[in-house]
Amino acid sequence: MLEAADLMVFYENMLALNNVSIRCGKNQIVGVFGANSAGKSTLMYALSGIMLDIRKKEAMAGGERITLTGSIRYLGREISTIKPSRRAKMGIVLCPERRRIFKESTVLENLKIGGYLASAAQAAETLAYVFKMFPALSKLKNRLGGFLSGGEQQMLAIGRALMAQPKLLLLDEPLLGLSPLMQATLMRATREIRNERKISIIITEQYARPVLPIVDHAFILENGSAVMEGSREELMDNPDIRAAYFGV
Amino acid sequence: MNTAAQQRRKERIDRGIKVRTDGLYALMSWRELAYLIAPRSILIVGLLILPLVMPGRYWPRVISIACIYALVAMSFDFLAHYVGLVSLGGAFFVGIGSYLSAILNTSLGLPPLIAVPVATLAGGAFCTLVLLPCLPLRGVYFAIVTLMYPLFMARLIEALDIVGGTDGIMGIDSFPSAWIEQYGVIVMVLIFLFGLRRLVNTDFGLVLRAVKDNDQAVKASGMNITRYKALAVFIASATGCLAGACLAHIYMWTGISTFALDFSILPIAATVIGGSGTLVGPVLGCLILVPVSELLRDFGTLRIVFYSLILLAFVVFRSDGLMAYGQRKYDQFERWTKI
Repeated sequence: MLEAADLMVFYENMLALNNVSIRCGKNQIVGVFGANSAGKSTLMYALSGIMLDIRKKEAMAGGERITLTGSIRYLGREISTIKPSRRAKMGIVLCPERRRIFKESTVLENLKIGGYLASAAQAAETLAYVFKMFPALSKLKNRLGGFLSGGEQQMLAIGRALMAQPKLLLLDEPLLGLSPLMQATLMRATREIRNERKISIIITEQYARPVLPIVDHAFILENGSAVMEGSREELMDNPDIRAAYFGV
Repeated sequence: MNTAAQQRRKERIDRGIKVRTDGLYALMSWRELAYLIAPRSILIVGLLILPLVMPGRYWPRVISIACIYALVAMSFDFLAHYVGLVSLGGAFFVGIGSYLSAILNTSLGLPPLIAVPVATLAGGAFCTLVLLPCLPLRGVYFAIVTLMYPLFMARLIEALDIVGGTDGIMGIDSFPSAWIEQYGVIVMVLIFLFGLRRLVNTDFGLVLRAVKDNDQAVKASGMNITRYKALAVFIASATGCLAGACLAHIYMWTGISTFALDFSILPIAATVIGGSGTLVGPVLGCLILVPVSELLRDFGTLRIVFYSLILLAFVVFRSDGLMAYGQRKYDQFERWTKI
């Protein structure tokens, strides 16, 4: 479905991604694990194309010079120069780190904004689906986004991303700052979404343990390089990885 | 993206001499010292020589006006980029300063050399006092409120017909000699420029910059941010008042036009062109903008069109400003490297 090869991203002279190649198959959940500053968010920005936008803005403001190379193939097409908005239309939807929900819009409005690309019928269907998947949100329809708890905000962010009718959903640190209970709920929901909506999901996280049960394949990023990859079992069998990312 | 051309990237690297001059090594050799001193001395010597090489009586006067704008622009830059208060009240500071100095001179008979510093301090105190209620405001709200102040003062003077009304105050003494008039402002610009640059790197400046970044965290560290903001506003408004006071004695007249929007807008434009957050940038910007606007006088009202186009181009294509660009070229070199 998605195949990124030799991705390199420089922020000025700092190498944020070094020859990273990752793949995500159809209907797969792929995990990307790494510590702070390993390059997880940079990878997500590169895949979703936001990096092109950041590069342009930085260039205009005379800030950091961002260099981006490598190829990203999506559904058999090279997309590495395609604008982020076009990529979203093609089905690559990013659910950004720290949620970035629209704080001054209500839950319903947030979801409707997400459904901008969808047809009316699709939007109505997805809206019902989101409320079914996250019953907590349906009770809060008219509350402002900024007044939601962290977990509810994350549900909303995922729901908003779903409204854009993704074929490939990029979840950037969806468990940031959430309680273990909420983490488990969200991961269950993520798996169900994959099963029911038939979409592929790439999910990044620092701490792999809550995510690992649902991933089919995972990559480990360290200082911008993909140092390891493998199926869930292969990673669990590696003692170093277990100690570093699973805390056992 | 895999074409051969894009497999190279341009990297920026600090010049060796820049790295060496960052620390005590700067004292090691004349070359390093010269590297540090050269840009500063170009500015100082350049500013001091400028009036001498300018022909006639008209252009030296333009330089004086540019310096007055530079003071206001510095105060804007200081408030906006080191304290986080975007003030559109440059005209308010200038107006208060010029009226105070004019009144001190005409009513109390103080000579300009005493009236100007007194007006600077008293004006700074007055401006701080009236801005005190607005200090909790941030961002665009502070900007709107400070934009109101000069309009308010101008209409107040006009409507109540106080301090000269629409005629303004005439018969203000000029500086004792043309030399003092010319160099007083220039030296003041230099003093305030280097003073502010030093100030923002002291502990006090550190707190101010922290207030800009996150005022709640500063409060949580047990500091009274209103006090720090008030002090910063005093410094900035005193700078603006000094500019206004000098203006009154240079023109030997003051009126409600000192509250005109020009004194709020042009300094901001100069800051954008020169490079915001550098403090030198605004001075440079004024030294470019003011003469340019004089040169464009031949075009009549079209002047504003050209002026706006220049500004537009800068904001769109070089929003970091000349100074940041120049600094980068001075400190770093670029080269192509293979990825």
